[in-house]
Amino acid sequence: MSVFRLGDQVPPDPKRITDAVVMRFDHVYEVDPALMELTGQQDVPAWDTKRIVDSRWDHLDWMHDHFADEVLLAGEGSETMPEEDAMPSEERSGVREGPSDPGMPGVEEPAVDRPDVRE
Amino acid sequence: MQDGDQKYGLDRGGGDGYDPNGDGELQRQFVEQWRTNAYGCFSSGHKFCREVCPVMQVTRNENHTPTAFHANIVAMEQGLVDVADVADDYVHCTQCGACELRCPNTLFTGDFYRHRTRTVDVVKAMRALMVDTGNEREGWKVWNERLAERHNEPVLGDVPVSQEHVADWADGLDIPIGGETILFVDCEAAFYRTSYTRAFAQLLQKAGVEFGLMREQWCCGGPAAEMGYVELARKHADHNVADWRAVGAKRIIAPDPHDYIAFTEDYPRYYGDDYEFEIVLGVELINDLVKQGRIRLTEPVERVVTYHDPCRLNKRKGVHAAPRELLRAVPGIEFKDVDHVTQWSYCSGGGGGLPVEKPEITEEISRRRVARAQQLEVDALISACPWSERPLSQAGASADEPLEVLDLFELVARAAGIEVGGHAQGPVQEARP
Amino acid sequence: MSVAFKSGIDDAVVEELRAIIGDDGRVLPNMSSRVNRTRVPAPFPVHRWGEYMPDVVILPRTAEEVSEVVGLANRLRIPVVPRAGGTGLSDGAVALRGGILVDVKLMNLIHEIDLVDRTVTVGPGINMLKLNEELKRHGVFYPDDPASYPCSLVGGRIGTGGWSLIGGRFGHTRENVVSLQVVLPTGEIVRIGEGGGRKLRKSSTGFNLKQLFTGHQGTLGICTEATLELAPRPEVEFAAFFAFEDYRTAWETTGDLTRSGLATLAGVVLFDEWKIAYLRRDDEAYIPQPASVKAVVAVAMYGTRAEVEPASKVVMKLGRGRGGRYLGDEISAGDWASRHDRYATPLHGRSKDGQAVMMSWHCEDAALNYSVLPQVREEWHAIVAGFREEYGIFDDWGMFAYTNGPYKPWGDYLVEIDVGIWEQRLNDENWDAWVRCKRDISLVTLKYGGSITACHGATREGDAELVPAEMGSSWEVVKRIKRALDPNNIMNPGKQSLDQAYEDGGVA
Repeated sequence: MSVFRLGDQVPPDPKRITDAVVMRFDHVYEVDPALMELTGQQDVPAWDTKRIVDSRWDHLDWMHDHFADEVLLAGEGSETMPEEDAMPSEERSGVREGPSDPGMPGVEEPAVDRPDVRE
Repeated sequence: MQDGDQKYGLDRGGGDGYDPNGDGELQRQFVEQWRTNAYGCFSSGHKFCREVCPVMQVTRNENHTPTAFHANIVAMEQGLVDVADVADDYVHCTQCGACELRCPNTLFTGDFYRHRTRTVDVVKAMRALMVDTGNEREGWKVWNERLAERHNEPVLGDVPVSQEHVADWADGLDIPIGGETILFVDCEAAFYRTSYTRAFAQLLQKAGVEFGLMREQWCCGGPAAEMGYVELARKHADHNVADWRAVGAKRIIAPDPHDYIAFTEDYPRYYGDDYEFEIVLGVELINDLVKQGRIRLTEPVERVVTYHDPCRLNKRKGVHAAPRELLRAVPGIEFKDVDHVTQWSYCSGGGGGLPVEKPEITEEISRRRVARAQQLEVDALISACPWSERPLSQAGASADEPLEVLDLFELVARAAGIEVGGHAQGPVQEARP
Repeated sequence: MSVAFKSGIDDAVVEELRAIIGDDGRVLPNMSSRVNRTRVPAPFPVHRWGEYMPDVVILPRTAEEVSEVVGLANRLRIPVVPRAGGTGLSDGAVALRGGILVDVKLMNLIHEIDLVDRTVTVGPGINMLKLNEELKRHGVFYPDDPASYPCSLVGGRIGTGGWSLIGGRFGHTRENVVSLQVVLPTGEIVRIGEGGGRKLRKSSTGFNLKQLFTGHQGTLGICTEATLELAPRPEVEFAAFFAFEDYRTAWETTGDLTRSGLATLAGVVLFDEWKIAYLRRDDEAYIPQPASVKAVVAVAMYGTRAEVEPASKVVMKLGRGRGGRYLGDEISAGDWASRHDRYATPLHGRSKDGQAVMMSWHCEDAALNYSVLPQVREEWHAIVAGFREEYGIFDDWGMFAYTNGPYKPWGDYLVEIDVGIWEQRLNDENWDAWVRCKRDISLVTLKYGGSITACHGATREGDAELVPAEMGSSWEVVKRIKRALDPNNIMNPGKQSLDQAYEDGGVA
């Protein structure tokens, strides 16, 4: 269970990754704030960063299911860099259950506009 | 800080900000404040938001898209529209948060840039501008006048709500007033769906959790803020925080997702560092208590059910695992799930004041939600938000084949052998078991 | 607030439209309805917004309503602009001359699913992702997969003759529309197909009109219903990404893959050096990659497990055959799934001094042959660099080359350069510079025997004026057809230089 405390929502200090990228939370890259002077950054509490990162991975897993029942992969890691640095969220790899929407047509009225299915 | 993040609602003085000269100064300030947000969307315009928006799925009117909500601000800057031209469009939003989460500006780069799409804030701010410039909506005006009078939302229609009766739901439960842990009870839950509140409170009691009620249980102020009544929202927040402090509260338990959002987003914006409370989300607490064995679920509930992810848990806060875990812990339940990403495009239509101004749209959104549940061949739809349960229940009752709509806490209480009491649809209906 | 009507619309016409539609909520002459159906995601001269607004918006529900509205417009010589999703990248759905904008989003029903003869019949206002959510439980899918898959609508895909990421295996929009119902510029409702009945795939009777009506950019009529292919839902997807130390080797590997003869090959994507440099700005897959990763090739396959699994081994060999290094399972799966979402984020943009600023995205979509890809890349980047240097508001977001030929991954390529434009800094001078940049890019395409647009349509300044040059000797035929079907030049007028089909230059 997560208990919301305002103090916990402040992100940690950034550490430098490249000359344009920093990192505050493990495995979550961020732009160097110096590059956002013109646009300005928003106040993004820790819970929101977590929500966005988790949602991104959930969404990507979900997208596959539009096109195939199963994702096949080579079963190999990165050949360009050490595995633990390759992709930030390692724990997210692999296939997960696809979406389970029973589906519904764009009906305007109940039952009347159900598509006829010829099987 | 940018983008009205802090400025929305904070520094409006005692006056109502009405634009006496009609010279558009308020509108100009609004545009100045929100133009970066607006361009964040307008410069893209790809509309990934459109098909996940519950209102858009029904009306198919581009005016009601999150894209339009942002584009209008740029259009105002260009002198093409003013508030009066677009006011009705901004009514068409439940503030479910699907759009701003689905938007690639959030989902793919919001964390990287610390800059994301904030449609909910934009809609709230525009509605506040509508109030300030004489463009307020009649239904919302009356609703919030009644809130101002009674300090709870007029959830019982013609039957007035009142502070004298705000804790009637707790009759027979012997819940004390005050203490370190306060149970916050939402207006809908206190007056309309008391079975929800009684279920939750009795589950806490069964687990031996110590908690008390507020001395004066006012509305959290969230819906007023959603409809654009900024000072009214703040007034209620101030009262609640004062009440909490007066009884030495350190921790607030919020079972209702709408309150949870008010306490973890609105209130921190109001008070900054001067906000010391721990906020506990009801469903996560109950789930933990069950996992720890402090609540034992011994009575099987032989139902075939599916779960409705409330928008303000799933999309707005990323809470979707705990309710499912809790649901699966109910013995005898057969649970046909629809995953939480698919449910980004689901909604009950109950939020954001939509049922007050556009009840026919809320009704259609709920009708579709119930129809989707029925396609799974279940005998009940379980939700975890009392605001969703009203339109969903009405849709469930009027479907060709009626579908029961239950709250998750009500279900869990049943499995814990609790005789819940209370009512699910206002006091005039017979109480349901 | 109000901006005057541009075309021959007046209150009397609006009343006639209300009489036709019978529902005032679907005849919208108010400002917010017009303002919000002006631009599309392509770069837009914000400071001249009012010039591109339609006069009145119609939200039809039936082909009959569309037919009567178009009939009225034809009679009164009022321009009509069809708009489905409004997510096109070439201003096809932008009103150049005011008029009636026909917004088909309410026509989003699924009318029929035929699992025996393998078609689904829909209204033009339905989105492919939502359609496939319904089709999934029947074990089929409609395989039209653009980058805008979650947002574009079937009617717009048909109007533009869209391109699909997996077209190398499943064909593009044109191949996946079996037949369609169209309202002609003169108001008649006709059925267009290959020939024969609604569900026929190939015929030689009469003239084959389907090609003509899939990709006309809304200049020959409005689609009011479409019968689409139902492809078997693939059992398995396989994706693999390979990194290269130089572009040329990546390009050669692309050729190896696309000529491989693997039947389940759905698409190959070549990322050039500028694209990798751009992805390093904010893409978690590319930020940590070593400097030696200069170019990337992505491959995807779909089909039965029996076919894809053995084929995947061949792909791994080919990807590595010239030294390509596999980027790993996580990136291969994640990045392939993100192909619909990565493009549009404005904060990808960088000013000349490196600040992250919100830019609108121009997506070039030339079609070019394999042999010229390296050279075109050099010339295009040089053009954009020149404009960035001089005007400061442009940004080079790199290039992709994708398999383009339907069912023929070995054929040609959709070649994309992505250019960021700092819209908030646009003025007339910068806008004109942008149009010149656009035109220069297209001229290079024509120089190398390509097409200036594989799929978006040549419906904007910078492209439209080059359509006659690209059409060459067939331009005469194009003009005759346009004039024959749209005698009064009311259907999306001013697009693709089709005004030239008319003696008076097409302007009434």
